[in-house]
Formats: sequence, C-alpha cells, structure tokens
Amino acid sequence: MKKIYIVAIVMVAVAIGLLTTAAEDMSTYATFEEAIQNGKRVKIAGQLAKDKEMYYNPEEDPNYFSFYIRDTEGEERKVVLLSEKPQDFELSEQIVLTGEMKDDEFIATDMLMKCPSKYKDEEVYIKSEAE
Amino acid sequence: MEEIQYIGEHLLPGEIGQFAIVVTFVASLLSGIAYFFATQRREQAEANGWLRIGRWAFLTHGAAIFSVIGIIFYLMLSQYFEYQYVQAHVSEELPTKYIFSAFWEGQEGSFMLWMFWHVVLGVILLLRAGKWEAPTLAVRSVIQLFIASMLLGIYIGFGEDPTRIGSNPLMLLREVVDAPIFASADYLSQIKGTGLNPLLQNYWNTIHPPTLFLGFASTAIPFAYAIAGLWTGDHKGWLKPALSWGLFSGFILGTGILMGGAWAYEALSFGGYWAWDPVENMSLVPWLILLGGIHTNLIANSTGHSIRSTYVYYLLTFIFIVYSTFLTRSGVLGDTSVHAFTEMGLEAQLIAFIAFFLLLSIVLLAIRNKSIPAPEKEEATASKEFWMFIGTLVLLFSALIITASTSLPVYNKIREIFDPTFAGQVITDPVPHYNKYQIWIAVFIGLLSGTAQYLRYRENNFAKHARKFGVHIALSVVISGLLTYLTSLWIDIKSWQYAVLLFFGIFTVVTNIDYLVSFTKGNLKMAGSAFSHIGFGIMIVGILASGLNKRVISNNPFVMNGLIDGASNEQMSRNVLLFKGTPLIMDNYEVTYMSDTVDTFTRTFTVNYKRKNQQGDLVEEFNLHPNILYDKSFTKVAASNPSTKRYLERDVFTHIASLPQVEIDMEYRRQREDSLNYRLHAAYVGETITFLDTVDLSDQDTFVLKQYQAQLVSINRNPSHPDYEPEEGDIAVGGRIKLQRMEDDSIFVVDPVLVLRGQLLYSYPSQINEISSKVRLAEGIFDAVFGPELDMEYESFTLKQGEQFSFKGHQIQFGGFNRSPSHPNYTPQEGDIAVSAMLSVQSPDGNVGIAQPVYIIRGSRPLNLKDELPEMGLHFRFSGIDPSSETVEVMIAKSDAASQKIPFEIATDSLRSDYIVLEAIEFPGINLFWLGSVLMMIGLLFSMIVKIRQKRALA
Repeated sequence: MKKIYIVAIVMVAVAIGLLTTAAEDMSTYATFEEAIQNGKRVKIAGQLAKDKEMYYNPEEDPNYFSFYIRDTEGEERKVVLLSEKPQDFELSEQIVLTGEMKDDEFIATDMLMKCPSKYKDEEVYIKSEAE
Repeated sequence: MEEIQYIGEHLLPGEIGQFAIVVTFVASLLSGIAYFFATQRREQAEANGWLRIGRWAFLTHGAAIFSVIGIIFYLMLSQYFEYQYVQAHVSEELPTKYIFSAFWEGQEGSFMLWMFWHVVLGVILLLRAGKWEAPTLAVRSVIQLFIASMLLGIYIGFGEDPTRIGSNPLMLLREVVDAPIFASADYLSQIKGTGLNPLLQNYWNTIHPPTLFLGFASTAIPFAYAIAGLWTGDHKGWLKPALSWGLFSGFILGTGILMGGAWAYEALSFGGYWAWDPVENMSLVPWLILLGGIHTNLIANSTGHSIRSTYVYYLLTFIFIVYSTFLTRSGVLGDTSVHAFTEMGLEAQLIAFIAFFLLLSIVLLAIRNKSIPAPEKEEATASKEFWMFIGTLVLLFSALIITASTSLPVYNKIREIFDPTFAGQVITDPVPHYNKYQIWIAVFIGLLSGTAQYLRYRENNFAKHARKFGVHIALSVVISGLLTYLTSLWIDIKSWQYAVLLFFGIFTVVTNIDYLVSFTKGNLKMAGSAFSHIGFGIMIVGILASGLNKRVISNNPFVMNGLIDGASNEQMSRNVLLFKGTPLIMDNYEVTYMSDTVDTFTRTFTVNYKRKNQQGDLVEEFNLHPNILYDKSFTKVAASNPSTKRYLERDVFTHIASLPQVEIDMEYRRQREDSLNYRLHAAYVGETITFLDTVDLSDQDTFVLKQYQAQLVSINRNPSHPDYEPEEGDIAVGGRIKLQRMEDDSIFVVDPVLVLRGQLLYSYPSQINEISSKVRLAEGIFDAVFGPELDMEYESFTLKQGEQFSFKGHQIQFGGFNRSPSHPNYTPQEGDIAVSAMLSVQSPDGNVGIAQPVYIIRGSRPLNLKDELPEMGLHFRFSGIDPSSETVEVMIAKSDAASQKIPFEIATDSLRSDYIVLEAIEFPGINLFWLGSVLMMIGLLFSMIVKIRQKRALA
C-alpha cells in the first residue's frame, strides 16, 4: 500500500476521533428549565418580553443590563447580560444568549440578536411633515 | 380598477435594464452552448465557427451586464426612489462616495459585482487562453448563466403560487411593496430613501467587497481549467496556466479575507479581526483548499505526481465558493451569524447551482479517472513532494473540519425535514471550539513548511544530503527554541499547546529564512514560497500575541466578582464609566474623557490617555477620537466607530460602548426634560433661599430629603448660553444662580437663560451634573424684569456736555458722546446715525457705574435704546439731541430693584449626562499578524509574477 494512503487513513481516523470530542462543544438550545437542571453553560433562544422592565444604568454598573425573555416553552425569566445595552435592542425579534443560571437569573456573557433585516423591510419611509 | 397615471416616474432606464438582464441570461446560455461545441467539434472549420459565436455571445453577455450595472448606478446617483433597489440602499443624505457601498449592499448588487469580475477575467481568458479558450469559457458561461438567473425575477408556473426565479434589482417599489401610498399618483414626492446601513458607511466597504468578489471570481479560473483538462483529456497542458491563476486567486482571495479582518478590527466595534463567524469561515475554507491546490499543482509541474489531487482541489475550491454563497445568502445560518443575509427565496436556485457543478465534477472525474497520468514509482519518503502533499492534506483537513462545524445549521435543517421534532444542535462557544482544532493544523503546517523546504523534488538519494539536512534542521530547532523562550518573556503563553504552536510558528520563520539565505543563494525564483511561509510563521506569532494577550484595560475594579463561574473578569467588566473631566486609572493608563463635538450626525469624543512611570512622571500621552454616528432622527446610535492608537508592538483600541440615554435619544431627552420635577422658587436679587427636595434612591422604593441653598446673584439682560444663538428681535434674560446641596462643600454657579422670540418662549436651562440638578428661569421673570418699565416714571433732563446734576441722591455727570456705540440690542445698519450718551453715576452709598443709552436715526426715524444700572435701580433713555443749543435730552427713572421677586425653577432629579461608557482593549503584537499575513500575500503575488515570466520566456 502506498504511504500516502496510510497517512490519509491516519487522518481520517483522527478526524473521527475529533468529531467525537466535538460533541462536547455542541448543545441544543436549552430552555430555562433545562438550564436550571443541568447547571451548565448553555445557549438559550427566546423572545424579548417587551412588557417587562429593561434595566441599564451605566452610572451604577456599565456592565449590567437586565431584561426578561420568554424561552421556547413560554417561560419568562430575568436575564442579566454582563455588558452594555446594545443598540436597537428593543427591536430584536429573536435573542440567543450564552450563559448559565445563577439563582433565579440567567447570567449571560454573550448575546446575538436577530433584528428585522432591512432587506426584508417592507416599510415605506414617508417623509415627515416637518421637513 | 382604473389604472393610475403616476407622476414623475422614470421608467425608461428600468425597461432598458430589464431587457439587458434578459440579454445577460440568454447570451450566457448561447455562449455556453457555442463554446461547448467549439470544444467538442474536431473539425477545425466548424469548431472555429462555434468559437466565433461563443466569443460574440460572451462579449454581448458582458456588455449587457455592464449596462445593467451602469443603469443601476445611474438610477442610484439620480435617486430615483421609484425603484425598490434604489429606495432600499440610497437616501438623500448619503454621500456620493458611498454609492459603491450602496450598490453592493444588497444581494442583487453583490451578485452583479461577482458577474462583473467573471466578465473581466473571462475577457482576459478570451484574449490569452489560446486553445483553452473554448472549454474554460464554456464553463464560465455556465457559471454566469446560474448567477444571471438570480437576477431574472420572473415567475414560472401557474395558479396561486408561481415559483419566482431570481430577484430582480430593477423592480419598481410599487411592484414589490403593497402599500396604500401607491393609490396616490404623486406618491414619489412623499417617499424617501432608506439609505445605506451606517455600519457600512466606511471606506472599507468600498474596497473589501470588490476585492473579495474578485477573489471569488478568480477561483473559477483554475476550476474552469480543471474541468477543461478533464473534458479534453489533456491532463498536463492545463497545469501551467492554472498555476499562475491559482496563485493570483490565492493572492486576491486572501487579500479580500484579510481586508474583512482589518475592517472588523479597525472600523467595527468587534474588538478583534477574526471571530470564527460562519461567514468568515466560509470565505476561509475555499482559500485553504485553493492553497492545497497550488501546492499539488507545483508538485504536478515538477514531478508529474498529484495531478489527480490538483483536479480535486481546484474543483473543490470553486464548489466551496458556491457552497459559501449558499450558506451566506440562503438564510440557513439564521441566528448563528452576525452578518449573513436573510432569505430571499433563492435557496432552490443556489442548491441547483452547487448540485450542477458538484455533479459535473464527480462525473467528469469518474469518467477520466483511469486516464489521469501518474508516475509508476511512488514518491520517496524523503522527497519534497511527499511532505508537501501531506501538507495539502492537512490544509484540506482543516477546511473540512471548519466546514463541518459551520454547516451544523444545514445538518439541523436536513434532520428537521425527516424529523420535525429534532432539536437543532449548536456550538456553545464557537471561538474555543475552532481554536482547539486549528491550533494543531497550524502546528503541522509550521512543521511541514519548515522541513519540506530543505528537501528536494524526486529525491532518490537522500543519504547524500541527510547530513546537511540534519545540520540545518538541528540548528533551526535550537534557534527556534531560543526565540520561543525569548518570546515567552514578552507574551504570556498560557498553555503548553500554545507553546508548541509558538515554537512551530517560529520554526517555519527560521527555516525559511535559512532556506532563503543558504539554499536559494539569491535566486529569487524560489523566494515567493519562502516569503509566504515566513509570513505564515510571523502571523502565527502575531495571533498568539494579540489573541492570547489581548487585554481589556477598561476593567472596573469595583465590579462584583464571582457572579458567574467560568466567566473571566474580562467578560464581566469590559466597560468602564468615565465622567467628563474626571481621570480614571485604568490598568497602566490614566484615562480622561475630555470633550466631544457634533458634526451633523457624527459625534466625536476626545479621550486622553496618560501613562506614568513609578515615580509618577509622564511617560507618554495621546488622545483617541472614537465617534458615534446618530441615525437620521437622532433617536439612536447607528454606529460606534472605534479609535486605535498604534504602536510598533501593541495597539490601544477604544470604543464608545454606551452613552447616557438622554445623549442617545433626543426624543427621550425632550420627554425627560418635560418629566423633570421642577419646583418653582422666587428670590430678590441677592437673596438666598433654602429648600428641601427629595432624592430617589435607586433599587429601593425610598427617597431621602435633602436640603438645598440657592442664591439669585444677578440678572443679565445680555446673557449668553452655550446652546443659545441670538437672533434679531430676541428678548433675552439671564440669571446667575448659585446652588449648593447642603451636605456638600461645592457651590455651583449656573447661568440659565430665557428668551422671548416672537410669541415663543425658549428656555435654556443649566445642568449641574455633580448634584443631578437642573436650573431654569420661569416665565414670570419677564414681568419681574420688564414689567416695571410700563409704570416707571421717567424724569427728563436737558444737558450740556460735562454738566453734573443730582437725581434722587445719585450724582450723575454727562461725560460726552460715544460715536460708535455698542449695545446688546443694537445691530448697526447702513445709513444709521447712532450715538450714545456717556453718563457716569455715583450712588449715595459710593458705588459708581457708567450708563450708555443710545440714540439712533434710522432713515428719518429717531429711535432710542435704554440702558440701565440694575444694582442702583436706575434706567436711562437718550431721547433727543438739539444741535442748535448743543444739548441732549436724557430721561432717567428709578425703580425699586428689590420690588419684585424673580422666579426660577430647580429640578433635583435630572440625572447626570456627562459620561461615556468606554471599552478599551490592548492588543500586543498585532502588527506581527498584519505583517505576517501581508507577507504571505506578497509571497503568492511574487510567485505568480515569477510563473508568468517563466511562461513568457518559454513562449
């Protein structure tokens, strides 16, 4: 057998090995319930509860922003994002948070927002009277 | 329904453009067919006939796509908002320099950019490829056919739900959007453009996309050559031209990717140049495979080995380009990527695009597999080609595992089709996940690109060189070890894996320099590869330095620790609060928010950094100028642009993470101002009053009572205020007020202003941030100040110059005239005759003052402007001049200054607004990353030039 093939086989073996270890890095989108149960660092997808309080007061702590989201099961909980309040936050449709539960709150270090894209925006901008 | 005759629409360019889009599509089809037969037909005359048709069709196709692009630019520059694409990407405010960015902001525009480059490169092939013209252009024409179909925007099928093919950039807004506004014939006068996303209003977005798309387009050339090689069965002839193009492609695509990183680092607030975002990954993957192809192509050219692999690599490169297009444009990435497009109904077409070329490649490879030549003899273990080939496998391997992880959403989608309850998998923390694997890839690349340089092609007597090889390797290992140790003194390596990587990064630099010096002996032909590999090694060191030792210096030491396990301090406290003018010690720096200026929508901040040594002496000082861009309505921050101080060995990166809400949203600021809890007070001039007010305590539903002391110091009829711009006819009053919160020592002096302009009252309050208070004057101040005027009794005096007299105990002397008088309410006009009377006054208690009432003759009308000495309560008017007797008439009245209380209002709940939330990061050694990666590109470019020259020399 050619040496090249041997090398290739070794690589495939390594690849399979790596893929099994990669499973550790994966998770499904958790619900709050699951996050409470497993206590690990998870990703939660949910929607912003727009009727609940959003709190960001940089004078107090510029790295503390709290709000409420509703997870896929409909459960609403408080989330603390250890960062500033991002722009357009109120507009977000879907929020993905990475973090873990701590007591009653979900402490997130990372957040990804999906905002209604302007490419799909079917809104026509009307000139305001004032102009 | 009656058809509406719309007013002001420009339909002709759109119609021409629509026609051109159809021509683009049809001509590429024709060109593909003609070039196909030009390749297939053996008979020379017939083949030439097809070739001519193919050429004309391709050129027609090119002319058509250029026309479409030209028309869209014309529509954009003319701001014809009746076109949906123009309306979506241009606005009245958009500076013309961003017109290119606006053009390729949308999917359609970027498709056209891609096609544009295909045409440009296609014409080069048409002119220079010789016998390869027909097959390669046949392939390109079919590629163009697929892309052109994305722009068609035609409906196929019947009934309720016809299938739409492509998304047409020349659709009218009223054809795309169903809104009541289109019921009016003059809707055009009422709509305006959405404009370019402010984040993209940046010069990087003018240069990065065209470079990247040129890179994308260039990968289609080695691909076309590979298909052509398999098709015609000439397995060797295509290798030489393909290599030059492969190197070109590697250079351009790599540069495009790097520009993306530079953009992210320099202009966006990502705080880094690479984040393993799916969109980034999928532009890197084809490049990695292309590099594999370049290496096997080199092997094939030198030894005849690896022709089959070269085919596979070049075919895969382009297929991955299309796959990457699919991932970023189909919307499948959904919420895993920051910057993927959302779906536009092109999924099926994109899948067809991939499937066609994937199947074509597989079928051709299968058919020709047997006939692809390979030397009988296997590569020797000590030969260059053997280890180079292993290296390409490592690259491919890297590309495949990146693809596997990035494709997780695709895998989820497929699973969901069969099992709707399947819960999609997702990578929890992408960055460590990718790094974990790519470290070892980089280690192997370092090892292989270091050692393989010393080996020779077709080595059949390694024993002869083994000694020399051993000496060089051993020496390199020693030097690299030493350098690794030295580097570890500078940067913190953190773990043994990174130490290994650092060693091999340095190793490839050392060996390649050695190779350049001892082996090529000034023969620059081989220098390109050495440059690239040295660049790679330097880049690795740069990544380790800037990535591992990236330090958030805007750390707030007071933040709660231990709030979350596993989260580093950096993650917890990236931002710091800076009050204007108050220095804060951050890491080694003393940082002060100095000032800010607003220029239309941009607000630029000046942040001062000082570094002191242990003795407290200033070592260095610099200012950074991060800015924010407001949206058009001034209700939000549309973009925050960082500012970076560059040093040779490190960068200090700074960006505005947040601002007080009243500084972000001017609407909110007005509301906030209206909702302030102002309390009305009144005081005589000079009087001090005390009052109590409540101060909220946050987080608790309680408040405390605090005592305040306010003194009305004086009234000013010629006031100034930072926000007040005087206009003719204004009646303005200012009041100086001293305010103190009783338990604090500081006394704050403010000068709020109230202006009556016509019927409208304008208030210019003053904010005292330190005690969260705001002071403004109340409307009643006008009555208090001007009211007495009405019932004031003036006494008239006729005076000669120098005359002295007494008025209610005051000694007054008429000192003379001032022929160029100035008065707060007087703006000189052409033809005015203006003069003031200088009256010096001494009050009974010994105070002195000078009053200057003004007398004006404008036209034939006499006017006079009063002056007053408020402290004495004296009012003066200069009412007439009698030239014959050389006397003046002056009217004087005395009012009781303390007769009326002056009303003013104080709110103690006005939150301070003089701060910024700042993020600052130090990146050590980031210039090594840029240097290394640029060197890599230069190496590729250099090799390409060498190859082209060699080819010329042969011809």
